[in-house]
Amino acid sequence: MSPNRSSPRGGPTARRLRRWVPRAALMAGLLVLTTGCKSSAFTRMGMVPPVTKQGKVVLTLWQGSWIAAWAVGAVVWGLIVAAVIFYRKRSDRLPHQVRYNLPIEITYTVLPFIMVGVLFFFTARDENYINKTSAHPDVIVNVTGFQWSWQFDYPQYKTGATSDVTQRGNMWLPGTNVATDGLPMLEIPENETVLFNLTSVDVDHAFWIVPFEFKRDLIPGHPNHFEVTPTSTGTFTGRCTELCGLYHSRMLFRVKIVTPAEFRQWISTQQAQQSASGGTQ
Amino acid sequence: MTATEQQQVLTEPRPYRKGSILADWLSSTDHKIIGHLYLITSFFFFLAGGLMAMFMRAQLLEPNSHLVSDQVYNELFTMHGTIMLLLFATPLFVGYANEIMPLQIGSPDVAFPRLNLLSYYMFAFGGLILLASFLTPGGAAAFGWYAYAPLTSAQYSPGLGGDMWIMGLVLSGLGTILSGVNFITTIFCMRCPGMTMFRMPIFTWNILLTSMLVLLAFPVLAAALLVLEIDRKFGAQVFSANSGGAILWQHLFWFFGHPEVYIVALPFFGIATEILPVFSRKPLFGYKTLVAATIAIAGLSTTVWAHHMFTTGAVLLPFFSFMTFLIAVPTGIKFFNWVGTMWRGQLTFEPAMLFIIGFLVVFLFGGLTGVILASPPLDFAVSDSYFVVAHFHYVLFGTVVFCMFGGFYFWWPKWTGKMLDNTLGKWHFWGVFIGFNMTFLVQHWIGMEGMPRRVANYPGLPGNVTTLNQISSIGSFILGASTLIFLYNVYKTWKSGERVTADDPWGFSNSLEWATSCPPPRHNFTSIPRIRSERPAFDLHYPHITSGRDREAEQQSIAAGRQ
Amino acid sequence: MKVEGLLLLGCALFFAVSDVIYWVFSHDPTGTTALALAVGLAFLSGFYILFTGRRLPQKRPEDDHEGEIYQGTGELGFFSPHSWWPLFMGLAAATAALGVAVGWWLFLIGMLAVVLSAIGFVFEYYRGHYAH
Repeated sequence: MSPNRSSPRGGPTARRLRRWVPRAALMAGLLVLTTGCKSSAFTRMGMVPPVTKQGKVVLTLWQGSWIAAWAVGAVVWGLIVAAVIFYRKRSDRLPHQVRYNLPIEITYTVLPFIMVGVLFFFTARDENYINKTSAHPDVIVNVTGFQWSWQFDYPQYKTGATSDVTQRGNMWLPGTNVATDGLPMLEIPENETVLFNLTSVDVDHAFWIVPFEFKRDLIPGHPNHFEVTPTSTGTFTGRCTELCGLYHSRMLFRVKIVTPAEFRQWISTQQAQQSASGGTQ
Repeated sequence: MTATEQQQVLTEPRPYRKGSILADWLSSTDHKIIGHLYLITSFFFFLAGGLMAMFMRAQLLEPNSHLVSDQVYNELFTMHGTIMLLLFATPLFVGYANEIMPLQIGSPDVAFPRLNLLSYYMFAFGGLILLASFLTPGGAAAFGWYAYAPLTSAQYSPGLGGDMWIMGLVLSGLGTILSGVNFITTIFCMRCPGMTMFRMPIFTWNILLTSMLVLLAFPVLAAALLVLEIDRKFGAQVFSANSGGAILWQHLFWFFGHPEVYIVALPFFGIATEILPVFSRKPLFGYKTLVAATIAIAGLSTTVWAHHMFTTGAVLLPFFSFMTFLIAVPTGIKFFNWVGTMWRGQLTFEPAMLFIIGFLVVFLFGGLTGVILASPPLDFAVSDSYFVVAHFHYVLFGTVVFCMFGGFYFWWPKWTGKMLDNTLGKWHFWGVFIGFNMTFLVQHWIGMEGMPRRVANYPGLPGNVTTLNQISSIGSFILGASTLIFLYNVYKTWKSGERVTADDPWGFSNSLEWATSCPPPRHNFTSIPRIRSERPAFDLHYPHITSGRDREAEQQSIAAGRQ
Repeated sequence: MKVEGLLLLGCALFFAVSDVIYWVFSHDPTGTTALALAVGLAFLSGFYILFTGRRLPQKRPEDDHEGEIYQGTGELGFFSPHSWWPLFMGLAAATAALGVAVGWWLFLIGMLAVVLSAIGFVFEYYRGHYAH
């Protein structure tokens, strides 16, 4: 199966490269333009900076997985491009009619198995960490989704015999700024474990805070739970990410991560306001 | 009518009355004509779904656009998804199978020709019912193509549109099931002498396995849809939330839904596998491994369904994650076999080959993002965002549309006796390739920045998301425009295309359809060559080529026969 | 018919093993039932093909590596030259389907049409010119 070279190297290959390098450069440029990549996003492979411990674990797994993915891509795309460049029809000679090569076929069966096994190992490990909930979380938030907004309850912080601190909002109104009143506000402390209990009163919804690198569905009849430990302060927008009807795109909420002291301060204020007004806000 | 009677009739001239061609086609039991009907009708649905997509992309040019209302936007993405998967890609598979599979196995037609035509009508009328739902007072269904309960209940989605969506799909799904039965029977029972299972072309193998998947998956969909309709019409509580109906629907739907995406992928992998050897002038690399890989993919596809449900918190994550990772292995094997076919070949780049190489480039990226999504922690981050939209368009569009066009350019002479124009074909390819990548590559980033899917507006996202959306929308318009090049090519060829006279205008084709005329006679063959390998047409046209032939096995079997 | 039957039985075995593993680890009744039905489908078809295949000549010409085309001479079967009945059956089925959505009056008309066109479809080649 020796390669059949009828022409000496240098001439035709150099010409081919001269034709193809500018085209490849143009395609690469077009590719970069269409990605809209910013340099700071590059090391995170596009993921927004995580603000929870669990999010950081996800980011590391994301980066590792993409390194493996790009490596595989480079090999396979490289082979395709090489075939297209170097095996272009040059004569009417029929190439050797190879139909199989057992050693190569076995190699490219076994190698992917190993790669997939490695990926699965890291996946299983990180998945267990992310799905863990502790017996005594510092803060508990009950999230209730409904068409088309959210209610956040803090069952540990009572405002009466049967009521607790509650934040309930309305859907986003077109034309208004997302950072204004009206949207429900979820306030949680950093560096403490926060357990979310998710329920829906009507249809499927989903709770997504992008910098948590996490989402979970709110399914009527099937309560869900997850726990995070925020690691930095800030204000973010959360979204519903399961089609829930007409105004699904307007089912936004705000998330504010504050220091534990600020959180307790806010809780006392809310307790005072809400028990004074005799009910939920 | 047997083959010999048909030959005598052909020698007499037949008078053509106006409209008789249409009447011929509408009552035809010829798999080739039924194939034309399927291809044309599904292409029409492709155009309809594509138009809806362009309206959606126009709406998404601005974060807070009012081009269409929220209700109309929700109807658009619901119908776009439904049409593209169930009224375009699935019937396209049936159409291609009809056109080519009987020719590839040397049979005069399919096992049940009238059932074949009936399946077409069920698809066509089911599709019309779905399109007609736009005209109802409440509009078309607006609950997404996977129709999660309880959003689809009579309480949350009242109106005729939802019911018509359900019943239209029941009808067209029934047509698909009957086609699956037809194809399996044909492949098992009607092959010509010498055409053993392991000499069948890979396209035919893929049709067989796809048809088996159809039998496994579509009845589940039909059952779930009918029960949903009973819930809506009679007030049954099967899919109601307090009896666990939400998760029940998801399990049932995705048990269908995942095999469905392999149903629409496998036949087109088969098309790629047919085209690559022809334009590499080499046989397919690794035939047996390819068959094994395809069987593995078909089997595994029935065990991965809940990877669409990772974020529900209600499924066994490790089982589905592991199975999904596993499915990447046979897909990778297929990739290496395809590249191995090209390797050390003599490649030429007619439009058919360009589209298949485009498929390889695009599908690879979709496959890689698929492996990323197979990991639940990563899926939690990007599921239900535009990242997933980008992923599935890369795999689905990359497979179905690129290979569809590749197949059109390749088999046009066999179906019509004329070749499509090469130059227009190349312009068409680059329009599709550039338009497609411009539309969908940026959507990976859009998703990661926080834009959920199925949203008519996207307030509160960073400014670059608007720019990326605009790039995506412009790409989609380029993509749409490139289809016009193809339509013009078809028209120009119809009016003034050059007729081919050879059985095999490409010169190096392998499978049996290239050993009969372009187009074939009514029952496909006036004579069939001897079948001694998986490349009977090549063996017929190049009997002197000894390189690569399985000479040893042949000698052994001849010797055994003499004993 | 060995390859065909074994292909289906092999699938049945794979589905059965996956089903057991799935049930043991998840106790999810929906997926377990769906996979069990898949086992049923594959097993039924595979077993039937192997069973009836035994009654056929052991090497059908299409399973013979040395099969010659002349072994397939003679009448291959009856192939309907053309037929309008699929159109009528399709229209009837569509009317019935639409009737479920639109109203029971249409459904009844559709079901009547389905019955009539089914009779026409099935008996098409036993009537008139084709009667024997």
